[in-house]
Amino acid sequence: MKRIIPREEYCIGCRLCEIHCMVQHSKSRNIIKAFKKEKRPAKRVEVEERGHVSFALQCRHCDEAPCITACLSGAMQRDAASGAVVHDPQRCVGCWTCILVCPYGAVRRDAAEKKVVGKCDLCPDLEVPACVANCPNEALVLVEE
Amino acid sequence: MLTYDYVVVGNSAAAINACDAIRSLDQDGSLAVFGEEKRRCYSRPLISYLVMGYIDEKGMYYRPTDYYRKRRIDFHPGSRVEVVDLERHFLETSSGERFKWKKLLLATGFQPFIPPVEGLAEMRYLTFVSWDDARTMLRLTARPLRSLVMGAGLIGMKAAEALHSRGCEVVVVEKMDRILPLALDEVASEMVAARCREAGIEVTTGRSVSRVETRGGYRGTAVLDDGAELDFDLLVVAVGVRPRMELAEEAGLHCDRGILVDEHQRTSCPNVFAAGDVAAAFDLVRGEPAVNALWPIAALQGKYAGLNMAGREVPYPGGNSMNAVEFFGLPVLSAGVVNPPDDSYEVIVRRGEDGDYRKVVIQGDLLVGMLVAGKIERAGILTSLIQERANVRRIRNFLLEEGFGHIHFPRSMREERIVEAVAGLARAGKGEEKRIVSHAQGSALSGR
Repeated sequence: MKRIIPREEYCIGCRLCEIHCMVQHSKSRNIIKAFKKEKRPAKRVEVEERGHVSFALQCRHCDEAPCITACLSGAMQRDAASGAVVHDPQRCVGCWTCILVCPYGAVRRDAAEKKVVGKCDLCPDLEVPACVANCPNEALVLVEE
Repeated sequence: MLTYDYVVVGNSAAAINACDAIRSLDQDGSLAVFGEEKRRCYSRPLISYLVMGYIDEKGMYYRPTDYYRKRRIDFHPGSRVEVVDLERHFLETSSGERFKWKKLLLATGFQPFIPPVEGLAEMRYLTFVSWDDARTMLRLTARPLRSLVMGAGLIGMKAAEALHSRGCEVVVVEKMDRILPLALDEVASEMVAARCREAGIEVTTGRSVSRVETRGGYRGTAVLDDGAELDFDLLVVAVGVRPRMELAEEAGLHCDRGILVDEHQRTSCPNVFAAGDVAAAFDLVRGEPAVNALWPIAALQGKYAGLNMAGREVPYPGGNSMNAVEFFGLPVLSAGVVNPPDDSYEVIVRRGEDGDYRKVVIQGDLLVGMLVAGKIERAGILTSLIQERANVRRIRNFLLEEGFGHIHFPRSMREERIVEAVAGLARAGKGEEKRIVSHAQGSALSGR
């Protein structure tokens, strides 16, 4: 399956990954509309920064994913085809149990939806996830097992 | 008599996750699930969401309609198991049918505790733990009622919230001095209580119901310990739950506040396993067996029980108490020890200007508890540090910072978690470029 690996020695902390992630998960997928006119979706990637060190972190799509096991409604599931941990907003009730158990802090409340979480879905509509494709310094790389 | 390779008694979180785990290792073994209710597996914690109209009945189901068929599970709905014979390896249902098993899982869950309150036995009331309870509540509250909830634990407060959403008058009576006493600490309890009061729910603590009198149907009068009288049209009893272990006890399995299991979720009888709200399994914060009657814990135990039943000897990593609650827009998450029992624990709290509240509990160099209210994002990192028994000496001062994350970890620990922990990728981020299929520039795939 596809996974995204951060390389902190290349990350410049520009947060373009966060911006492109939000645009990709917005209603219009248009940067101006997404930021000015629509409810901004939760970013599915988080740049952590301290001093001169930074890196971008999103869902690890864990083999033993605690969010899948803990999910009350069965909304968090493993996609059989891609192996990714995917989230079904239709079934999500926003109980926040996944936020409670995600070791990476990679699941967030999604203000654009009503009481639903958002997490990295590896951009299923794109060949390369938006964060990886738009990183100016190759600090995010896509690997395939 | 039909013989199954695997029999699961119970049909909720532990049972279904055990089935998933069994099938992940054994596609062919015969597998049966005995469920007391007539429904396929649904999520009990969602019943308040159903009453509040947040989900419809379809949203209650934990797995798709064809789940049992696709996994080749012989599902026996509406089938109560009455007897388990450990020597002759069979069980008997209430309809008198017998089935043999090679491996057995008891995932019988909990039952509501009904306190010995005078007059309660003559009353009709709800315990708000089942789909039927939710339906009854919906039916009874077609017109708003005066309602009384006994107990301000999670079930009681969820019932109160559900009744409130139906336009009912709600009074919650809690014997302890605060609401949600097990899940939260004093500060967070008060934060939630304040929200509930603002919304119009009357929360009264440090008082208990000493007597109830029926006035016909669900209607009655409660007399509190200070003599106050309360008329109600609907009573919810939610003062606690108890493991349903009669079946296990009668069979002769070792029980002590729950069915005792070893690190493989195995009971005192080989080939018999237990998981979920009925099992006393390893609590990694307390360092001893405990019953943590929580959906995520039940699911995790079920998963490990299933793996071990299907022959992969893999120890349950242990669970810990944890809660995610939200009332009237205030989310609160907690895990592990939130109310330290003595002063061998160090407590650090931080209060934001916008009313958010964060707390960690440290013992020695271990993070053993956390609570966050308001801003809950990324709290799972704290939970995972508790569960990993990680040494937090070097990062303790950052734990409550707003931007706390992996950036505060020593680099080796961060790499281990972020890069190496991802299966099979130990070297991918460290220069083994051939496995990298794409990055932004110069990649054929990215289309640039």
